[in-house]
Amino acid sequence: MKLHKIAPLLLLLFTSCSKDFLKEDPRSNLTPDNFYKTADDLNMATIGLYTQMNGAFNQSAGFSTLWGGDDITVARAGNKISYSDFDTYQATSSNDRMTNWWSYFYSTIKSSNSLINNYQNATGASEDARNQAAGQAYFFRALSYFFLTRTWGAVPLITDNKVDYTRTKAEPTDIYTLIVADLQKAETMLPDGWDGTKRQNGVDIPPTRGSAKALLANVYLTMAGWPLKQTDKYALAAAKAKEVIDGKATWGYDLVSNFADLWKRTGKFNHETVFGCYYNVSVSGWAWENYNMLTPNAYAPDDEGGWGDGYAEINFYKKFPAGPRKDATYQMVYYINNDPNNAVDWTKVQRKHPYFFKFRDDDAFNPTNHVNNNWIGSHTVPVIRYAEVLLTYAEAQAMSAAPDATAYAAINLVRKRAGLGDLVAGLSQSAFRDSVIAERGWEFAGVEPAARWYDLIRTETVKKANSDRDASEEALKNIPDDATHTFYWAPIPIGDQQLNSNL
Amino acid sequence: MKSNLTLWKKLALCLIFSSYAMALYAQQPVTGRVTAGDTSLPGVVVYIKGKGVNTQTDNDGRYSINAPAGATLTFSLMGYTSKEVPVNNRGTINVQLESSTQGLGEVVVVGYGTQKRKDLTGAIASLNATAYKDQPVLNASSALQGRVAGVSVANSSGAPGGAVKIRIRGANSINASNDPLYVIDGVALSSISIQDINVNDIASMEVLKDASATAIYGSRGANGVIIITTKSGKSGDMHLEYNGFLSSNTPMKKYKLLDAQGYATLANHIAGTNVFADPASYAGKGTDWQDMVFHNGTTQNHQLSVSGGTEKSRYYISGYYVNQSGLLLNTSQEKFALRANLDSKLSKKVSIGVGIFAGHSNSHNNGDIGGKGNPVMSALAWAPTEPVYDSGTQYNRFAISPIWSNPYMTIKERKNDNSANSVVLNGRLKYDITDWLSLNVNVGLDANISRTAYLNNDWVSPGNPGSGQSSLENYTIQNSNSLTFHKKFNEKHDFTVMGIVEETSSKFNSFSASGSGLTSTSNGYNNLGLNTSQGISSAYTNWALLSYVGRASYTFNDKYLITATYRADGSSKFQSTANKWGYFPSVGIGWRLSEESFIKDLGIFSNLKLRGSWGITGNQSINPYSSLGLLSGVQYSYGGTTLYQGYLLGSPSNPDLKWETTKQTDIGLDVGLLGGRVNVTADYYNKRTKDLLLQVPIASYDGGGTMYKNVGAVNNKGFEFFVDIAAVQTHDFSWTATINASTYKNRVVSLGKDSILYRPVIGGGLINTNIQVVKTGQALGSFYLIPWQGVYTSDDNTLGYKAGDNHYRDVSGNKSIGYEDRVIAGSALPKFLWGFNNNFHYKQFELNVFVQASHGNKIFNATYAGIAAPTSDVKYPTLAESANYASSKNPDAEWADPASKTNRSYVESTQYLQNGSYVRLKNVSLSYALLKKTTRFADIRFTLSAQNLYTITKYKGYDPEATSTSATSDADAGIDLGAYPSPRTITFGVNISL
Repeated sequence: MKLHKIAPLLLLLFTSCSKDFLKEDPRSNLTPDNFYKTADDLNMATIGLYTQMNGAFNQSAGFSTLWGGDDITVARAGNKISYSDFDTYQATSSNDRMTNWWSYFYSTIKSSNSLINNYQNATGASEDARNQAAGQAYFFRALSYFFLTRTWGAVPLITDNKVDYTRTKAEPTDIYTLIVADLQKAETMLPDGWDGTKRQNGVDIPPTRGSAKALLANVYLTMAGWPLKQTDKYALAAAKAKEVIDGKATWGYDLVSNFADLWKRTGKFNHETVFGCYYNVSVSGWAWENYNMLTPNAYAPDDEGGWGDGYAEINFYKKFPAGPRKDATYQMVYYINNDPNNAVDWTKVQRKHPYFFKFRDDDAFNPTNHVNNNWIGSHTVPVIRYAEVLLTYAEAQAMSAAPDATAYAAINLVRKRAGLGDLVAGLSQSAFRDSVIAERGWEFAGVEPAARWYDLIRTETVKKANSDRDASEEALKNIPDDATHTFYWAPIPIGDQQLNSNL
Repeated sequence: MKSNLTLWKKLALCLIFSSYAMALYAQQPVTGRVTAGDTSLPGVVVYIKGKGVNTQTDNDGRYSINAPAGATLTFSLMGYTSKEVPVNNRGTINVQLESSTQGLGEVVVVGYGTQKRKDLTGAIASLNATAYKDQPVLNASSALQGRVAGVSVANSSGAPGGAVKIRIRGANSINASNDPLYVIDGVALSSISIQDINVNDIASMEVLKDASATAIYGSRGANGVIIITTKSGKSGDMHLEYNGFLSSNTPMKKYKLLDAQGYATLANHIAGTNVFADPASYAGKGTDWQDMVFHNGTTQNHQLSVSGGTEKSRYYISGYYVNQSGLLLNTSQEKFALRANLDSKLSKKVSIGVGIFAGHSNSHNNGDIGGKGNPVMSALAWAPTEPVYDSGTQYNRFAISPIWSNPYMTIKERKNDNSANSVVLNGRLKYDITDWLSLNVNVGLDANISRTAYLNNDWVSPGNPGSGQSSLENYTIQNSNSLTFHKKFNEKHDFTVMGIVEETSSKFNSFSASGSGLTSTSNGYNNLGLNTSQGISSAYTNWALLSYVGRASYTFNDKYLITATYRADGSSKFQSTANKWGYFPSVGIGWRLSEESFIKDLGIFSNLKLRGSWGITGNQSINPYSSLGLLSGVQYSYGGTTLYQGYLLGSPSNPDLKWETTKQTDIGLDVGLLGGRVNVTADYYNKRTKDLLLQVPIASYDGGGTMYKNVGAVNNKGFEFFVDIAAVQTHDFSWTATINASTYKNRVVSLGKDSILYRPVIGGGLINTNIQVVKTGQALGSFYLIPWQGVYTSDDNTLGYKAGDNHYRDVSGNKSIGYEDRVIAGSALPKFLWGFNNNFHYKQFELNVFVQASHGNKIFNATYAGIAAPTSDVKYPTLAESANYASSKNPDAEWADPASKTNRSYVESTQYLQNGSYVRLKNVSLSYALLKKTTRFADIRFTLSAQNLYTITKYKGYDPEATSTSATSDADAGIDLGAYPSPRTITFGVNISL
């Protein structure tokens, strides 16, 4: 046997292997280990935050939890029953629409937590860059919890990035403590303005110091009402709102002269939006969170080929003072089957409701016949408007001190633009406050994040508001109790309940 | 040695004598008898090789033919391995033929080698290409479907080149892939799929089912292994063969939908207002969207092969072309392939071989066109009141319902082209170091290099046209080196021992560029620079596997057989050294009872063997980097049109992730009766898979998504039967049949600390909660739905439903209907599969009738649900039946009143769960052979056939085989969400062989 000839071949059996043959090296993927190092990393992490917040506000779904307000209702049939369940106080954990908010707000919180817990390691970035990134994360986390706790009440309060199936619900008081702490940090860490791509048409897209102050003012105002009822917060709310009003030139805030301009295509970037979510249907490539489904089509009635996601409640509409604001909020005439020659007043159509027409102008919308050729569009969703800052100030100032001249000045600015005269002088504290609440209702009626519903629950007036529900409206299945606060909060979605029995 | 020499001398003398004799006598009569075991074989075709002169054996298996003394006679019969016998100047030649399906002497390809069937201890089924020769088979999966016990094949997409789900002995894994491992000529496919291989080149497929057979593939053997052997040349004259067919493809079924008037009436009823001013004005008008998107397709298929060789070198070369247009308009695929298999004996001890396969395909619009809202689903849901065009050639883009695009526009205007190159190269060297020791070196490469390009014109992407291209490269290199020792001692003890070292490394690279704001569509997708805003991306992944393998088998006296294998595998996909390595042993034993005299004396069995095996196999088929906690990318535009890259924190990393392992026990019996005319193989198996690689859902409050963990155990057991019968064999007529049947029982044994795991929501917007779960005690693919009990005929005040509303069962007892009321409602996994294949042979005619069936599986028909009741995407239903809703005049209707204010209706209910069982007449073909003696130049066979001719099923969708869930998953399975149905085809084929 010629072993000397075989030997080299046998060696082939013991193929040489480099030590790293079985080591994973993800060359085209970022991992938490190699991220949060540079200013660019921090910037990419904040982009993640913008997309998740955008996802919460780009459709009616999560807004459906606000349908309990007396400003909006829906035709209870077909695929609108899950909206109507909030309108008529019978929503269950299985409601398919509300999960959109639950998921997107918590997804925003997850990415915010990660940024907050890691930004200090970004030694490749300047201290300013680190603070600005963290400031945004604090802002987005606070904003998310603010919506979560107002909508669902006690919810898990998460500041880490663990996966935990045993989390318990935190009480609103603890949630507000975190929100306030976060916004106080955001206030100091955020810049007064942005540049480059973060500033479009002279408008800051990410939150600024001004946005944080405005949000904090709203948070304080809410804390003063139900459920915390910390009335000492009125003064804080007034002070914070005043900072925004006094510094409005710093951040470029002001009321847009014509209310209707806010909702036009040309009003996409406006100075009234203190913080908003921005969309564009013409982005390169498919990017869901950059599209907005709050188009004219979503609220157009069935007779115009729309989805009819929400209609105006009749008595609220009737009380709404006439003027350019009302005209821009509602559409009173239906173009039956999109025929402008067949324009019928809302009282004469079968649906017998005016419909909301705030998101009234979009890329694929034809205003002459109300035909909308796309269900995604580019409308901006204002999360905080300067009008809200003014009204927050008016209410908080009146409640913490008195309805003084500054409080009157603030509300009258909003009324003036709405085409209304000044508010009757010399109102009592509570009468003034009721006037502000009513004003807020008209100003933000329909689908706006500054929702009527949140005003009703913090002032414990849900039942009261419903006492004036028109008889022709869909009958209420349950009537909320303003003393025991039944149906004030939405049920926790079943998806997470089935993963965690503590919920 | 001495006796050998004398034999050689005798042979040499013989040769000299015969050639001398041949010169003297041109022809002489040769007679004889052809038998199989003790049975004579009638109808055997006997012909003189290269001359075309032929005859057939009579009922006693006898024949007579005039043959030159130096000629070679070929004996062939369907179901038997052909035999060539040189005449060598003899006057009488008796021949024994072996059954080709269950031939005991037949060589079976096993992992890293071959064995004789009689020596096998494992459960291995073989499928020879002759079993489907008269059927227009386009890919290996259709060849396998219904023909092998224990193998299930479902055409989950009927698109040209669409996805196929293949399972061996059911589904073990929940999240890791359940696809079998495909090994083609020794190369384990990683970069390309079995569908990329040219089916016409396949000589045989061996399906390795039990652990004794699969454990040698250790890490990748848990789902079974299919070993594909391609054709090779035979020494002798050149053989030329052409195979071609033409098919016409038509839809098997249509949904019954509302006409425009009925639709308008129903929409007005639901909306409670005049959505349509005058429904009656639509009478006789409207659009049939199904007719708009489906059309009759065609398929043409051509294969040409040349083979032959000398004693030292052999070759097989083939070329292939297929062109198929889909049932959906504007979808097609074209494939070209070339194969060269060369073998050469360099010396007495060294032989080498190479196999080269190169395939190219061009696919047009046949990728997945999205789930919910794809053209199939939107064609069903689009309002029949809507015109196709608004005016002239201006498409009507936007319907009153649903929210999806005009299906005709989508399918007509879509331009998505994929061109793919697939390559399999393998080189092998065999060195017989001594007569008992040999070295095998096998080097293989499989690669997929493909490019996809799309153009979204102004219709597809209104106001913002765009284009893009992406390319990907996937290379897997495999090297296995083995040493084999084989020796027989004392004629009774037969030992084989083998050791292997194997390395596999797979690299994936992709690059893509896309843009929007395309300033001109005149250049199609070829000039990406015309896009105003542009984006690029790229990706890279790599995985590697290092393996040490050993196998020892011992046979005593041809009666007692034992095989043991062991494999150690190191995988890059797990993080620590301890987790990277998995160890996979197996042992199999066999007892050939038919060799025992007490069985032989019975005179019943031509073969009787009892087999048993046990072993462990593994699964690591998750994506690389799955346990690293990668960040996920998102894009944002600041309200502008340019997208900027951002990142979200992904799921947490899991450094503890390790192998999923499967223990399998198998008991099998091989029985041959009536001299081999009836062969039965029966197996019982029991598999237990543990440490499942499971994607555990993360609560939405923790950011949602899933993460991989090793959790739980799944059990699979079942019986398999395969019967092969030569039922009738006379001179002119024969009938052979194969029957296979398999039962499956799948059960989740444990899920760690949980008892239920929710599968991701598929089809959100239509389906709004998890409708499938993994639950202990239940099968994988279990549906989890609210029990629907029909429509109320009287009010239910407890639950707040009125007469005419959907009646659900309040399982939770909380006096409200919701997702808390979901229950297990059956599984998508079939419980029983069978196939029945018949070949009737009469003179030159041959008839094949092939029936294939699946029983016990459920399908959630989301396509049907989407058009049957109002949902968030589809405002008004289109299904004809849905107009038959309950009302005071029609209290017993099957459908709830869609306009009811009290009817909180759930798609996620058993109302839309349908029985997916079916019995399908898969193939009927009739062929006629013109023999060489008639045509003077070749054997020509004409075949007329029909596929999917008739289906018995209660399923209400297009096709019970078609599903929208991923073909790699079994936990998500059996959901039809606009699935692409398979066609009914009529085929004419020609085979020319010379």
